[in-house]
Amino acid sequence: MEPLYIEPTEFTPKVFFDPENSVFEISGFSRPENVIGFYKPILKWLEDYNDKVLSQNTNFEKSILTLNLKMTYFNSASSKFLLDIMLEFMKFMSKGNKIEVNWYYEEGDDEIMESGEEIADMLGYNFNFISYLP
Amino acid sequence: MTELEVTKQENILAHYGPLSYEEIGFLLNRMSAFVDKQGLSITVKKKVYSAMVESLENIYKHQDIISSNSDYQPRFSLFLDDKEFSLFASNSLLTCKIGPLKDKLDKVNSLNREGLKDLYKLTILSGNVSPKGGAGLGIINIAKVSENKINYKFENVNDEFSYFTINVSILHNSAI
Repeated sequence: MEPLYIEPTEFTPKVFFDPENSVFEISGFSRPENVIGFYKPILKWLEDYNDKVLSQNTNFEKSILTLNLKMTYFNSASSKFLLDIMLEFMKFMSKGNKIEVNWYYEEGDDEIMESGEEIADMLGYNFNFISYLP
Repeated sequence: MTELEVTKQENILAHYGPLSYEEIGFLLNRMSAFVDKQGLSITVKKKVYSAMVESLENIYKHQDIISSNSDYQPRFSLFLDDKEFSLFASNSLLTCKIGPLKDKLDKVNSLNREGLKDLYKLTILSGNVSPKGGAGLGIINIAKVSENKINYKFENVNDEFSYFTINVSILHNSAI
């Protein structure tokens, strides 16, 4: 399956989903004017990935899927879709895959860190919280 | 509801007139540059940023424009004193929308920090995103970042329309 790559813009984050290496990254700023138009195709890609890749994998050993989230800001409408994306990954666990969620935040940015803690709490899933220097 | 008042504050940003998506970005960039210059913490900056985005996007997505009267256009102001930022955002809307909006504001104002977190969780897990892109989370988010009550008022414009104003404060110096 082809990777999904979306260039970042002033209002939207960078998205790079690399199925070959099982690494999925969303990073940057999210305040799309058309939040549905931006995030729906990403959710559709994940559905296809589930159907065409994960569901077709009959190997006993399943890969670890790594989700790297390195947001600098996201508005409340985006938070709904980021949660939906993470819920898709939670579904992937039923295929036998392990999920690793890395939540990056700038050192001192309590807002982004707490947002990650709240989402982890909603999912009932442990994230790795990783701070970085600006 | 008491009148919203401004006292001994410096006006950092002011906007009056039609509000485009680009204009929202322009206001956000000006606030960010100002906060950076003041040397305030990234957390304060993010809180003000969030409150601005949600209030400005609420105007952009939910205003009802009064075509027959140009005296009630979107208005936004950000003030600063030695203790806090104070944000004012106003827009016209259909009077019939006041009921549910007032209920939501009163609900949010009745909750403490933990209650707001629970309401946010409940809304995000159960709510759908409207065609305008609102997820019903904006007002909760404003209350969460401000950690203060949202002051609000509705002014009657005519039989059909009202003018809605919110005011929130965000502490930048809790020592005062």
